[in-house]
Amino acid sequence: MQVKGKGLLKGLGITLKRFFKPKVTVQYPEQRLPLPDRFYGKPEFYYDKCIACNMCVNACPNKVIKLETEAVDKKKVVTRYDFDQQYCLFCGLCQEACPKDAIKFSKDFELTQYNRPDIKIKFVKPEQVEQRKEEIRKAAAEKAAAEAAKAAQEAALKPETADKEGT
Amino acid sequence: MENLFVSMAAGIRSLLGSGGLSEWATDFLVMFLKLGAILVYILVSALWLVYMERKVSAYMQCRIGPNRVGPMGLLQTTADIGKLISKEFIIPKDADKKLFLLGPILIFMPPLAVFAVAPFGKGMVAIDMNIGVYYFLALASLSTVIIWMAGWASNNKYSLIGSMRVVAQMVSYEMPLILSIVGVIILTGTLNMSDIIHAQENVWFIFLQPLGFLIYLIAAVAETNRAPFDLVEGESEIICGPFTEYSGMGFAMFFLAEYANVVLVSVMATTLFLGGWLAPFGLTFIPSWIWFLLKVYLMIFLFMWFRWTYPRVRVDQLMEFGWKVLVPLSIANIFVTGIGKYLYHSLGW
Repeated sequence: MQVKGKGLLKGLGITLKRFFKPKVTVQYPEQRLPLPDRFYGKPEFYYDKCIACNMCVNACPNKVIKLETEAVDKKKVVTRYDFDQQYCLFCGLCQEACPKDAIKFSKDFELTQYNRPDIKIKFVKPEQVEQRKEEIRKAAAEKAAAEAAKAAQEAALKPETADKEGT
Repeated sequence: MENLFVSMAAGIRSLLGSGGLSEWATDFLVMFLKLGAILVYILVSALWLVYMERKVSAYMQCRIGPNRVGPMGLLQTTADIGKLISKEFIIPKDADKKLFLLGPILIFMPPLAVFAVAPFGKGMVAIDMNIGVYYFLALASLSTVIIWMAGWASNNKYSLIGSMRVVAQMVSYEMPLILSIVGVIILTGTLNMSDIIHAQENVWFIFLQPLGFLIYLIAAVAETNRAPFDLVEGESEIICGPFTEYSGMGFAMFFLAEYANVVLVSVMATTLFLGGWLAPFGLTFIPSWIWFLLKVYLMIFLFMWFRWTYPRVRVDQLMEFGWKVLVPLSIANIFVTGIGKYLYHSLGW
């Protein structure tokens, strides 16, 4: 039998049931839902791993990454690695392209900034570059010193051998 | 507990009497205090109802609702009203300035005036008027005029159309509202609120007048402009209806008056159909005024429940339902009640 107003009562029943159901709200800044494993958030860059191969720059479809290098003692030093995040589409191609896992996406998704220039992430700090350059120079100097010492040793040994040869 | 407020009033009266005031001045001051207490009650309950509405709606949608300002978010409405007070009250250039300002000032008047005859508990009625129900109906319909005034004075087409709708809706639903109450008045033979409550000592009128209660309920929802009959407001068609041009505290007054009206119709429903402050099942150890408030808030919850369950109706559906369904039904209810009363008397029960 069709009773008028039956649907109205049914509706009231549904809302009353919802009234006593557990609530689904997550109190966001305090509570967070777990992120999926493949989530791409804010990128992370490991300066020491980077070999400045330019693979990530070429892989990026939006030309987000800007990589600059400087040659110190025939070695490439990364002086700039800028990640212009506002154009990034979080495809992860740069992460895939990198042979040394120097760029990686973290799970940090709170990327809001107060000013537009702050969106661009400048990964390389000048002191990092200086330190790296210093290391290379030091290594080069050590190597040169070692070579010089070896040469001196050889030179010191030379007369003896020459004598030996002479005999 | 039962006589808390009554003895408080008596205490103040004797204090003033011993202070050497004349009878007339004492009466005047006590009445002033009583009405002041009612005013405070209405304002606080309007604040509380906004919070309650948000919480109830949130819970019905599996959300939590306001919970940041104060404990459990209790101060949310206070903060909202504080924000509205601090905002600029804009008066449009072409508005009728005097009427425009009078609207939000007068909007609280009808509900406040009506509460003077509402019996809040045993002996807790500020003015025991012998035509209480009539007074309620006469004053409650005044808010139509005030909303119309606000809409007209705004000099804005949305306000005008919105207030036309208010008038159409309220006048149409005033009819079934009054006619549904007539059934109760036939049964009691009085218009005095306290007498109506006393007449319900044995059985509440919701059981004798179920149809009357249903009609009253629907008409009351429409009278208070709440969903599913909230055609007065509509963001996509007439923006905020008659309140479109009001900002700041002017808007807040209309907003709070809406809730005062909800309290009003709930108080009337409690008095006329739910036995007022009478305790059910002989649970008289709970004070009568607590019973009264419990019933009132139960009614208010019912109104909120309706609001968050039903989608709104169309204007033509609203009018059709009012005039073609509710009015004939309420007239039939009066007819049946009259015959029933006659039979009851002639059988000599």
